[in-house]
Amino acid sequence: MTSKKKWLSLLVSLSVVSTLFVGCGSKDEASSTPKDEGNTDSSATTGTEGTKEATGPVDGGTLTYGSFSDIVSVNPLFVQDTASGDAAEFMYAKLYDINRTGEVVAEPWSLAAEPMTVSEDGLTYTIKLKDSAKWSDGEAITADDVVFTFNSIKDPKVGSPGMSGFDKVTKIEKVDDLTVKITLKQVYAPFQYVLSTQIVPEHILKDVKPEELQKNVYGTDPAKTVSSGPWVWKEWKQKQYLSFERNPNYWGPKPHIDKIVYKIYADQNTEVQALIKGDVDLLGGIPVTQVDAVKSRDGLTVIQEPGPQYEYLGFNFNPDNFKDKFVPWAGQKTRQAIAYALNRQGMIDNVLKGTGKLMNAPFLPGSWADPGDAAVNYAFDPEKAKQLLAEDGWTAGSDGILTKDGHRFSFELQYNSGNSRREQVASVIQQNLKDVGIEVVPKALDFAAWVDQNLTPGKYPAILMGWSLNNPDPDGETTFSSKYFPPAGQNQGFYKNEKLDKLWEEGTAVVDQEKRKEIYKQIGQEISTDLPYVFMYQYGTPTAYNSKVKFAEEDAPESSLAYGYFFHLINWWVDAK
Amino acid sequence: MTEYFIRRLLQSILVLFLISLVAFGLIHAAPGGPTQMMMAPGVSPETAKIQAHNLGLDKPVPTQYVIWLTNMLKGDLGHTFKNNLPVGEVLWPTVGNTIKLMAFAWFISLLIAIPWGIYNSTKVYGISDQTANFVSYIGFAMPAFWFGIILQELFSLKLDWLPLSDMYDMDKQGNFGNLLYHLILPCSVLVLGFLASYSKYARSSMLEVLEQDYIRTARAKGVPERKVIFRHALRNALIPIITIIGLDLPILVGGATLTESVFNWPGMGRLFVEMARSREYSVLMAITLITAVVVVAGNFIADILYKIVDPRVKLGSKGGKSA
Repeated sequence: MTSKKKWLSLLVSLSVVSTLFVGCGSKDEASSTPKDEGNTDSSATTGTEGTKEATGPVDGGTLTYGSFSDIVSVNPLFVQDTASGDAAEFMYAKLYDINRTGEVVAEPWSLAAEPMTVSEDGLTYTIKLKDSAKWSDGEAITADDVVFTFNSIKDPKVGSPGMSGFDKVTKIEKVDDLTVKITLKQVYAPFQYVLSTQIVPEHILKDVKPEELQKNVYGTDPAKTVSSGPWVWKEWKQKQYLSFERNPNYWGPKPHIDKIVYKIYADQNTEVQALIKGDVDLLGGIPVTQVDAVKSRDGLTVIQEPGPQYEYLGFNFNPDNFKDKFVPWAGQKTRQAIAYALNRQGMIDNVLKGTGKLMNAPFLPGSWADPGDAAVNYAFDPEKAKQLLAEDGWTAGSDGILTKDGHRFSFELQYNSGNSRREQVASVIQQNLKDVGIEVVPKALDFAAWVDQNLTPGKYPAILMGWSLNNPDPDGETTFSSKYFPPAGQNQGFYKNEKLDKLWEEGTAVVDQEKRKEIYKQIGQEISTDLPYVFMYQYGTPTAYNSKVKFAEEDAPESSLAYGYFFHLINWWVDAK
Repeated sequence: MTEYFIRRLLQSILVLFLISLVAFGLIHAAPGGPTQMMMAPGVSPETAKIQAHNLGLDKPVPTQYVIWLTNMLKGDLGHTFKNNLPVGEVLWPTVGNTIKLMAFAWFISLLIAIPWGIYNSTKVYGISDQTANFVSYIGFAMPAFWFGIILQELFSLKLDWLPLSDMYDMDKQGNFGNLLYHLILPCSVLVLGFLASYSKYARSSMLEVLEQDYIRTARAKGVPERKVIFRHALRNALIPIITIIGLDLPILVGGATLTESVFNWPGMGRLFVEMARSREYSVLMAITLITAVVVVAGNFIADILYKIVDPRVKLGSKGGKSA
């Protein structure tokens, strides 16, 4: 289950160089008025849609996508970074796809012929494949490929990052050439999302030893990477571009776009300029500081809806991380006071330029598990914060900083260097908390070193960090349950709440969505009261496209999904100027 | 001469060995290893251990160094950890790309800077000299990335005369004319930087020579000014200039990370930064060694040119000039 969440590769790849530019530009752009933004945005949108309806889908043409990083390997067994995942989106059909509202479905371009069937007891999943599906070398896609893929992911020797998704699976069986049956040892509702996965060809990889799979050229050599999707991989010029062309053996509905170029840029400023110039048609990950500059250009449309990721201020509850083993936020009221003291809406407006949404629980706003008003919303209220701190026994010291039992309320807030959003948010936190008498020492650390020395072992007082949700399932047991303390688990702040531990377990033990919804509502209420984190906001990396890119309304990009900027790409078309 | 070269060669090998030792130690001392960056945190510690074992990362660092050195001597640069690509396949194209960019910029700047500096030394504080002064202030003071963005904004976005970035247009990969077209902007940035220093070196080196007694003697004898400049002064003034050029050779492989980033030039500077971030030890070591080799080679070449320009220089028992 833990693979559901992963460190944002974006964070890893933010370069020091671009941060310089982002830093330079941010002040000037803060002044432009929100009114203007609205106008430009809507006019641009109507403009594109107008042309869209006039022409209708056209076959041919090239779509150029601008990316900030190069791929590692497109082998679906090992994909963990965004760039490799993007490339795999073009090249591979999934067993099931996820629709706009986050449900698992069998689309005309999915490998499955019909929705999965789940047995009464919730333990057996049956998958039926389309009989028409073929690999790009002409071989049929069968149950053997599915069984091989799942067995490989499950095999520890392979080292697939998806392994934990299969830890509740006892049996993977081929029923006939087109049917696969999977048996679980316990009811595990999020498993349906595990099945929305890409499949690798058994006939190519069956003779490779499990421990050698990752080193195999399958996934790095375009000529040897047989795939199943609308486009096949033609060329890889490292650090420059990848190109994909229509798959001549494709079995699904014919894609309109002939060729996709995945262009790699070293610098975010250059990337944005390339979009403006027209070198790039579609660009994800636009720095928020540049959003206004992009919107002001004719013919460019910006999608500002935040993505499937959220940021949080994480507390650590392990006394070993503090001087004299004193955990300053051991009291619930103190944590709530910190939540009241932070001007989260102000951060969204000023730092994120409106590209975020407030969050009060670890469920994406608007998703089916969103507890809505059941979760406590901490509106910006420094007076309330001061009052709660006083109730929890804090008194002002001689230097204006609060003290309790002889301990000054001062802590180090860690985050990764080179991330301009976090740098700015950290300084807002510092100021906000100073206003209520808490001293924050922001500390930026190199990402690799930070993960190794602080996050994985859970050695830090407090962090400013984010989680990315790879699928729409609300399960967060591995992040918040006391069963998952470091170093093995992801509950890096050593948070323990027995009521929540139990609820998280119950949440995955029923398949019925309505019943689950009720449980996640309770979780939302409890977690937003007890606050293992201060949940800050859902944020996004805005995507923009030029007027060459066309799609019908039902195929428009969907920010809330992973890889949602390529949502229904198969139905898109480009103006062949 | 032969004996001198052999001695210098042995010294260089020792230097390279020491550099590799220190670099290997430092790179491995940096917190967070390659497996850290490869794995999602959900991967169990057991799997992480299997991975580290498969990659040989669980061995003690000195053992890893010996293995690396042995492979290196056999000509094997190793593979990347992340996707098992041969280091050469990742590295050599970027070296080539950087050399294309830098050599072009460097050659043009020498072509402009040296004659300009010499000319200015003859007309100190003239208009040309003042212009050169101004250009060098700008060249020293203006960050390469900032100037690059200004050029992009003006010539690519506003005027649409020149390409924004990259080495080639997508549909003209490998076309030489297209390469030259793409070289104009990044080279302009680099040339401005080089011009500043080289024209200053040339000017001051000439001025120093022109104050020498033998120049005064030559002038007193009535030697025409042209001849004084080109025959008497220039040959002597070139010696320090050539030394500096030789010592600057390493710039050809590693001097322009920022310019490469701004113009999305797929060069070695960019590669180094990316590989450092993902802790790709073998690529980092290879780049460090290449740079070290070029520095040592630059010293050699400076020495040779030194001798050609001025045969009086004895490359003898003193061990040559020091950097």
